[in-house]
Amino acid sequence: MATQLIGARIKALREERGLSQDALAALFGFKDRQTVSAIETGERRVSAEELILAVEKLGATLDYFTDPYLLAGEGKFSWRQTGLGAGGLSAYERVAGRWIAAFRVIAPQVGRQTPLLRKSLPLTKRSSFEEAEAAGERFAAELALGDVPAARLATVMEEGLGVLVLMVEAMKGVSGAACRLPDLDIVLINRREGEGRRHFDLAHELFHILTWDAMPPEHSEAPTEFGGNRVEQLANSFASAVLMPTAALERFGDWDQSGDALIAKLNAAADDLQVTASALKWRLSARGQISAHVARAIPDSALRHNGRKSDRSPPPPLFSKPFMEVLALALDEGRVSVRRAAGLLDLTVEDLADAFTAQGVQPPFEP
Amino acid sequence: MARHAGPVLVDTNVILACWRLGAWRALVGGYGVETVEDCVTETQTGFQRRRAEERIDEPALRRSLKAAHAVSDLERARVAIQGADLAVDHGELSLWAHALSRADSWLLCGPDKASLRLGIRLGFRERLASLEQLLSDVGYRPRQPLNVAFTAAWHRATLETLAMAERSERR
Repeated sequence: MATQLIGARIKALREERGLSQDALAALFGFKDRQTVSAIETGERRVSAEELILAVEKLGATLDYFTDPYLLAGEGKFSWRQTGLGAGGLSAYERVAGRWIAAFRVIAPQVGRQTPLLRKSLPLTKRSSFEEAEAAGERFAAELALGDVPAARLATVMEEGLGVLVLMVEAMKGVSGAACRLPDLDIVLINRREGEGRRHFDLAHELFHILTWDAMPPEHSEAPTEFGGNRVEQLANSFASAVLMPTAALERFGDWDQSGDALIAKLNAAADDLQVTASALKWRLSARGQISAHVARAIPDSALRHNGRKSDRSPPPPLFSKPFMEVLALALDEGRVSVRRAAGLLDLTVEDLADAFTAQGVQPPFEP
Repeated sequence: MARHAGPVLVDTNVILACWRLGAWRALVGGYGVETVEDCVTETQTGFQRRRAEERIDEPALRRSLKAAHAVSDLERARVAIQGADLAVDHGELSLWAHALSRADSWLLCGPDKASLRLGIRLGFRERLASLEQLLSDVGYRPRQPLNVAFTAAWHRATLETLAMAERSERR
């Protein structure tokens, strides 16, 4: 495993530096490029001395070549964020990349294979918003999301689609992200966001995961529930329909109230559906159940926190149960040390134990 | 058992636990205790990764140690190429890197399963010691119960399990 890891990292860095195998062979003092080729494919083991030569000649750290919990030139991210510069986002992406890389390495080691096949939506940039909504409706129905789709969505994504969903502590301004690796799809959600926002972000990122090849998302986009470029608008249409499908809206009857009565009903129904009242308002407007004029006339302030002073819901536990289960197995089997795991998640050893407990997983060590 | 006469290499977990239990003086009084610079760093406030941190005076810690070794990238590379799939902490890796560079009769005390597994893979199962055994051999009985991973019984059973896992994966 080490041989393959180091070989793959040498290849990734050689390509990043624009070097041929011949050029790298000359740099290392090998007589031909076949030696480089054998190292890169993992057929030939690198000696410690050669590894140090790679550190010196390619200008990378030893960790770059030996740390399996690193996304080296892999992984495409799409962030929902505001106010973060490229530097800040890039730093956070490296942190998130370590969680993702760790899961990808550990899961198969402990017998949790990532899915062989990927599911996708038959949509393109030329699809209409109505087609995106119809896809969302069918997704909610076919995957049996039930009366409160938001409550089951993460589980369905994990169990039905094999997507790794992580509730994370994120930098201010980051709502969430979708990430695609050759063999794994991941959605990150800022667990400090309000419940309705988290669910909308999750459904929005699900759209990107299911349409990544046909319409690759931008690296960074604003976390709005409407607007944005065409792909973002399609994602929002899909997300609205997944979280608020016709079948789930029917129980609320008609929406011909006005003024405070309409606002109170929107807030109460949004609580029930675990979405934001604002998202519900625009969903009803898109369905023609309230007019665009009425929707625009409702002030945002009346729907903020679904009519409460603040969001009362506690944040969900860190990361996810599947993630913590895999980590617990790895700790128990001696594949990762407690201090390394705590460092990876930026927790104290005691907080790491609590994070297992919060997900209903027995901590595999005594803190 | 007879007290080990050679050097005893300890990791951050052991130093922190001994400090917390008040057993450090007994350990360094009974053995020539050594560690690596990365572990010394990890014992300091802000690097312990513990909710309630021990206040460990660095000069006092250094005075009590027989040595704190600097570890080179080449020494770390020698361990990393054999155990890149076993993810240990910096201090744990550096301690093994240092151990690998020595030819004398050291013992290593580090309770983490991944560190123990790395030791087994490197061929040093017989050099792994539990904190309870080391303390017992110098006649010290901690006033508080030891965390299970420091006990001799857990150590023996865990080594057996990890050795089996290593054998099974090497087949």
